[in-house]
Amino acid sequence: MEKIISIKDLNYTYPEAKRSAIKNLSLDIYKNEWLSIVGKNGSGKSTLTKLIDGLIEADSGTIEVAGQIINEENIWEARTKIGIIFQNPDHQFVGATVEDDVAFGLENQGMPREEMVKAVDEALILVKMADFKERDPQSLSGGQKQRVAIAGVLATKPQIVIMDESTSMLDPDGRKTVLNLVQQLRSQQDLTIISITHDIEETELSQRIVVLNDGQIVSDGKPEEIYDLGADLQKFGLEEPFTSELVSTLRDTIKLPDGYLNEEELKEQLWKLHSNM
Amino acid sequence: MGRYLPGDSLVYRLDPRGKFLLTFYFVGIVFLANNVASYAFLLAFVIFAVFLSKINFGFFLKGLKPVFWLILFTVALQLLFTPSANPLWHWGIFTFSKEGLVIAGYIFIRFILIIFISTLLTLTTTPIEISDSIESILKPLKKIKFPVTQVALMLSIALRFVPLLVDETTKIMDAQRARGVDFGEGGLIKRIKSFVPILIPLFVSSFSIAYDLAIAMESRGYKDGEGRSKYRVLSWDRRDNIMVIFMAAVTGILLFLRSY
Amino acid sequence: MEITFEHVTHSYNPNSPTANLGLDDVSFKIQDKKFTAIVGQTGSGKSTLVRHINALLKPTSGTITVGDRVITPETNNKNLKPLRKQVGMVFQFPESQLFEDTVEKDIMFGPMNFGASADDARESAHKMIKLVGLDESLLEQSPFDLSGGQMRRVAIAGVLASDPETIILDEPTAGLDPVGRQEIMDLFKSLQQDGKTIILITHNMDDVANYAEEMAVIHRGKLIAQGIPQEVFNNQELLKEDLLTLPKSAAFAKELTEKGFSFEKLPITINELGTEIEQQLNGD
Repeated sequence: MEKIISIKDLNYTYPEAKRSAIKNLSLDIYKNEWLSIVGKNGSGKSTLTKLIDGLIEADSGTIEVAGQIINEENIWEARTKIGIIFQNPDHQFVGATVEDDVAFGLENQGMPREEMVKAVDEALILVKMADFKERDPQSLSGGQKQRVAIAGVLATKPQIVIMDESTSMLDPDGRKTVLNLVQQLRSQQDLTIISITHDIEETELSQRIVVLNDGQIVSDGKPEEIYDLGADLQKFGLEEPFTSELVSTLRDTIKLPDGYLNEEELKEQLWKLHSNM
Repeated sequence: MGRYLPGDSLVYRLDPRGKFLLTFYFVGIVFLANNVASYAFLLAFVIFAVFLSKINFGFFLKGLKPVFWLILFTVALQLLFTPSANPLWHWGIFTFSKEGLVIAGYIFIRFILIIFISTLLTLTTTPIEISDSIESILKPLKKIKFPVTQVALMLSIALRFVPLLVDETTKIMDAQRARGVDFGEGGLIKRIKSFVPILIPLFVSSFSIAYDLAIAMESRGYKDGEGRSKYRVLSWDRRDNIMVIFMAAVTGILLFLRSY
Repeated sequence: MEITFEHVTHSYNPNSPTANLGLDDVSFKIQDKKFTAIVGQTGSGKSTLVRHINALLKPTSGTITVGDRVITPETNNKNLKPLRKQVGMVFQFPESQLFEDTVEKDIMFGPMNFGASADDARESAHKMIKLVGLDESLLEQSPFDLSGGQMRRVAIAGVLASDPETIILDEPTAGLDPVGRQEIMDLFKSLQQDGKTIILITHNMDDVANYAEEMAVIHRGKLIAQGIPQEVFNNQELLKEDLLTLPKSAAFAKELTEKGFSFEKLPITINELGTEIEQQLNGD
């Protein structure tokens, strides 16, 4: 697999803070993978995002984005490869209307207007918001605003999209639409997705989960490996998966295989037991 | 004046720069009117413009509401204090005369004209179009190194966040009312004090919005406003030329009626 | 206190070209000392509904009775303090209401507005900060130096400090991590067990199943269902029309019925579901 981000021995301490936010962290992220980063509030997740995008500067260590170690000179170029969807839909909507907002990143790149008009339309079609082109943000739901934010990021054709708790302020419908959209776009646009989240369902969509605690990686594996932690997951800011909670209430009286079972697997097991009765 | 009202008509489609400048121009020539004929003519023009906009007349009347007392006060002042050689009625310092009545009438119509025409501008032009117009009009100032594009972006972001801050204010007010704050009760000091629990949270959230927005803008590649292209363009069409010519004709007729 | 809505309609911007109905002829009762959940899609009118209980909003028509207090369209803004002392309200993201220079003063703000003496209010602040799971030493700090989760707890303490009989919660756990979420929900449950009436607005159906004894479903300003969660989550019409999502356990049980399993009523909590599965598999 091809690496797209490679972090080595990264350290960061906020000015005036006593403890470091990121401690000696090394992490490789691969092309087209969907990586979830989980951890309690204050574990360093958002700090890591800001470091990757060069929004804050590391005390030591290196970050390589698409084959280039980022530094002050090339940071603007690195940023064109990365798009971030932030948590609060209202706080990242720059434009007065949907189309203006999508165009913002392109204007920054100095793209000629004719190309821009095309790029904005294409991006809005991708997120299914073309009908809302001329609407102002006040008239949109949270989920719709986040879709516009995604369009704004896609328009600049990034290779990496970071979702920094971008579904945490949405209602269940909004969350579902945004996640389905991201999943679809990942394969369609060959994107690498890094999602920072507390939402167990969001991590189910990813291929790999990294657990952060106190600025360090304490666990790194496939979702089913991480879910195997069961009730311990709560310590890392993730709720216990529904199936492992159910399995632990059933284990006393019903024989089930060891390890984590997802919903489909658990259903199959229960149906099998039922038909053997 | 009013908030932008989504719609479509000739007035909506006019170039905002033209609308913006001609509105100011019209407010200027209102002061040239000096007799019944010229005021009647301008009133007819404004009513015609309102008709062209296809907007419900009620929205224009609503525009009068905030300045209702100011109009009433000014008109009353003219009615009662215009000096006259042969007053119809006289009591102490008050004088009521035919001249006073005429002047009060003119002032009333002047208010109506100015408010209706500016309401027409704000109802049919989005804030962002107005900010674009200002940017375009100020463009020559770039020559003297005035940061026109930055100022325009600042203005459009400010406009974008006004409704958000209004919502935030309502929410904070509700939260403090639920905690037992009475706004608008008690003496002046108490009233002023009751705004502290609103202003501080509002400042705090404005700063947090500003911080988040700055980070979001930087992550989307906003450097310092240099080398940016522009998505919005304003286009000056034939109908805008027609509007300017029409306005010149209005001025001509007005000047003729003045000496009529 | 029992809370009764009788034909309550609320119109935003009445008599204007942009008028729209926030509530449409809502009549129902919220029972004293119970835990009631109010659910519905975003914009359905849940927040409008609860804002009538402490008269932050007044009905366009209809009446709301809170204990012996009656709120009508004519109710004026004077003398609402006794009502607002009885009905505490935790707003969405309540940390944005903090403004004092110390945590202690901020928690004391509500009680003092409602006429408590400084000593009583301070005592209450010390009690409440512990109740919401924070250390007393935080009382001397500025609320703006705390973490987001701590600020949330301070804001909640500030509402509880006035000792309201009814507590309205508008998505109180939004944006918190799972541990914080559960601690806060458990706190509200224990307050109810101590005799408070709890009204919770939420999108989280598992919270409804786990904590609420009563629920009401609002859709486009209308009350479309009310009852105990067991019953409402088994209301076939609502589910068919997609007006209600199921708690995870009920959704899983429903899928189990595809092969072999059958449930007289869909279980809504993990424990109920576990018991049902055991019974059906062990054949007793």
